[in-house]
Amino acid sequence: MSDRELEEFLAVHPFTADLDENQRALLAKQARLAHYQPDEYLIQEGRPANAFYLIVQGLVSIELFVPGHGPRPLQTVEGGSAVGWSWMLAPSRWEFDARALERTTAVVFDAERLRALLLEDCCLGLRLVQRLLFLVTERLRAARLQLLDLYGPPRER
Amino acid sequence: MVKAAITTPAATNPFIPFPFVVMSRRRETRDTVTLRLRPLRNVRLLAQPGQFMMLSVIGVGEVPISVSGLPRRPGELEHTIRAVGSVTRHLVALRPGDYIGVRGPFGTSWPLQLAHGQDVLLIAGGLGFAPLRSALLSILRERWRYRQVIALYGARSPTDLLYRRDLSRWQQRPDLILRMTVDHPDQYWRGQVGVVPNLIRQVAAFFEPANTIAMICGPEIMMRFTIRELQKHGVPDEHIFLSLERNMQCAIGLCGHCQLGPFFLCKDGPVLPYSRLAPFSEIREF
Amino acid sequence: MAHHWTEAGLHLLIDRAATRTVTAMPQAVVVEASQLANLLTALHARKYRVIGPTVRDGAIVYDELTTVSDLPVGWTDEQEAGQYRLRRRDDGAYFGYAVGPHAWKRFLHPSPFTLWRARRTPDGVIVELTDAEPSRFAFLGVRPCDLAAIGILDRVLRDGPYVDPSYRDRRDHVFVVTVQCANFTPSTCFCVSMGTGPRAENGFDLALTELLDPESHRFLVEIGSERGAEILHELPHRPASASDWETATRLVHNTAARMGRQLEVRGLPEALLANLEHPRWDHVAARCLTCGNCTMVCPTCFCFSVEDRSDLTGSVIERVRTADVCFTTAFTYTAGKSLRQSARSRYRQWLTHKLATWVTQFGTFGCVGCGRCITWCPVGIDITEEAAAISGLTRKDERP
Repeated sequence: MSDRELEEFLAVHPFTADLDENQRALLAKQARLAHYQPDEYLIQEGRPANAFYLIVQGLVSIELFVPGHGPRPLQTVEGGSAVGWSWMLAPSRWEFDARALERTTAVVFDAERLRALLLEDCCLGLRLVQRLLFLVTERLRAARLQLLDLYGPPRER
Repeated sequence: MVKAAITTPAATNPFIPFPFVVMSRRRETRDTVTLRLRPLRNVRLLAQPGQFMMLSVIGVGEVPISVSGLPRRPGELEHTIRAVGSVTRHLVALRPGDYIGVRGPFGTSWPLQLAHGQDVLLIAGGLGFAPLRSALLSILRERWRYRQVIALYGARSPTDLLYRRDLSRWQQRPDLILRMTVDHPDQYWRGQVGVVPNLIRQVAAFFEPANTIAMICGPEIMMRFTIRELQKHGVPDEHIFLSLERNMQCAIGLCGHCQLGPFFLCKDGPVLPYSRLAPFSEIREF
Repeated sequence: MAHHWTEAGLHLLIDRAATRTVTAMPQAVVVEASQLANLLTALHARKYRVIGPTVRDGAIVYDELTTVSDLPVGWTDEQEAGQYRLRRRDDGAYFGYAVGPHAWKRFLHPSPFTLWRARRTPDGVIVELTDAEPSRFAFLGVRPCDLAAIGILDRVLRDGPYVDPSYRDRRDHVFVVTVQCANFTPSTCFCVSMGTGPRAENGFDLALTELLDPESHRFLVEIGSERGAEILHELPHRPASASDWETATRLVHNTAARMGRQLEVRGLPEALLANLEHPRWDHVAARCLTCGNCTMVCPTCFCFSVEDRSDLTGSVIERVRTADVCFTTAFTYTAGKSLRQSARSRYRQWLTHKLATWVTQFGTFGCVGCGRCITWCPVGIDITEEAAAISGLTRKDERP
């Protein structure tokens, strides 16, 4: 997978599509394309948080392994979105699992090199942090709505 | 149970129900069933998708239930009912051959004609899929009248999904885009977990916001977040239609309970365009 | 005669096209007060149940009248926000008081009312109507505000896409004897602001104005219909003179001039709907008990609930309509929850319905300015004060 081809992925992925060409070129140098089979793990709880994943295609389940209950899925992430932000606050470890439910393709960034790049290029850094914040907002909104159990049986008066 | 036949005087009085008999009962989920009803006398109550009937269990009470299917023979009705109170608990326990009182049809219908030649987005949350199913069936019957047809459905959990046989068939259709999600998956679920507004972004490539009619039904919070997402994508307020729910007792605009601001939801609704509701949408407890 | 009234009266009556129009002067005669008994007899002879004001439990209420002495002769009322008491007059006026806690809706839209009954028989469940023979009423003493209220209920219950048959069957046969308001102080009234009084121009069979002085006690009787004329011709009468009209006009003018409350209605619906989060709502909610008295005494409140009732054996079931109150939390109970839980939201629903959304729904205000809600509110909440505070509108013309 050449940098050129990676740049093309970044040009269409919603997370990076509206960055300028140079910024995408810089990012492409830190990235590689990865493929996952169904039930393969992208992220495992407890491991060092050292990557950032742009999901190109497929379906990824964010879940937690609960002793006695097995993996408990919390949310799924589809193509066009992204997984993992703990890498931003180094050093840290992943707090959840991310498992592919279908064959999944992702653009994977090395977190240490990405952090260095963002410190060097503060403008790019700010833009990425904004996008990450947006991502976190979306996940939080969804998590809150799921928590409300809107479709559940009506509560007693 | 109303095992005995019901006889009513000719309904010149709008409060008197017509007698119907339960033809079939299909259990959808733990607390929800779909009943198909046939009139006892030669009476045709023709309901459009989006409209509702008042279903009576005589001696217990009467409740508004949207039509959730299309009649296979003229005069038949199909309703999906969830047990949440005394009347609906009785309705959910009815068996084929039992009798039921029916008044209607009442209310406004989904804007299917307005959607001719447009992209159609049907967005359902939980039991809100019931009134939208009749719209979807009607659309699929004349599929050629519409451009892109997209159905988005969010349920609480996989066991709460309604119309599972329909869903499997619809997933096979190349002329229908169907996306589903649940809030709380079980161990077998390999589909999406998350909220309905999230599904809109996934199908954004398939509809042209300026030429789309969106029809939404579900809990009010779900509809509110869905509307915001549609607005972000550029769907105009006049093309976003909601089906709303309020306490309805007479269904003919006389008892006053179903009012939402100036609207009697039994007459001016339950289907209303968001453009008419927008002035009141941010007012709590209005 | 006609233009004499118009000069005196027009600057008092704001022409609300939706509620009333000033028409040509009806034909009028004068009848001695003693003839009231014969009017009652004539109505009874035509098989009407005559309903009118009478004193009971310290108030003037509406009930069936058998003789003319059932009327509150020589009584008047003193009303203020949260206050009502009766006081003896020093004359023998039959109609020298404002309105009491009853409204005519209790006869036209009675509660509880059986919509239909079902009987379980060996052949099945048989549903039957029970409203076979509704009473024929004659209402004696309908004030102009209440007449307007009946007109408003007509629009809601009879003239819309769906008709309430029980209301229509009672309303269409009512014989209306209006009394133009005179000879008392209208403390909580604001019919002038609402364009509904203190005179009615039409909609009645007969309209009485009580002319009382030390020398004479008589009624100016305006004839509003053929059956009104037909009954009147059984009573001794003479044509009304210019001086009779002058006296009547002056009396009604005095009532208008002494209105206890005012309300600016121009622009009111828009102003209320633009202020749905005004801090005043919290202020009134802190006082409002959500007791619903206002809805019970209001002559236009029509909401009702429907429930099935059965006897112990379950062999007789009735579907019953009972008057309901939007101030209860149960009013908005839907699928397991009430949508208006705070007192603030419920008071706001009542006020905005009466003075704003009713106009969109039915083309008129829901309020006729009778003042009952002000008098009978246990904490004295005044609808005119609240509406003015929230809308920011005040009446600009001076009272004469």
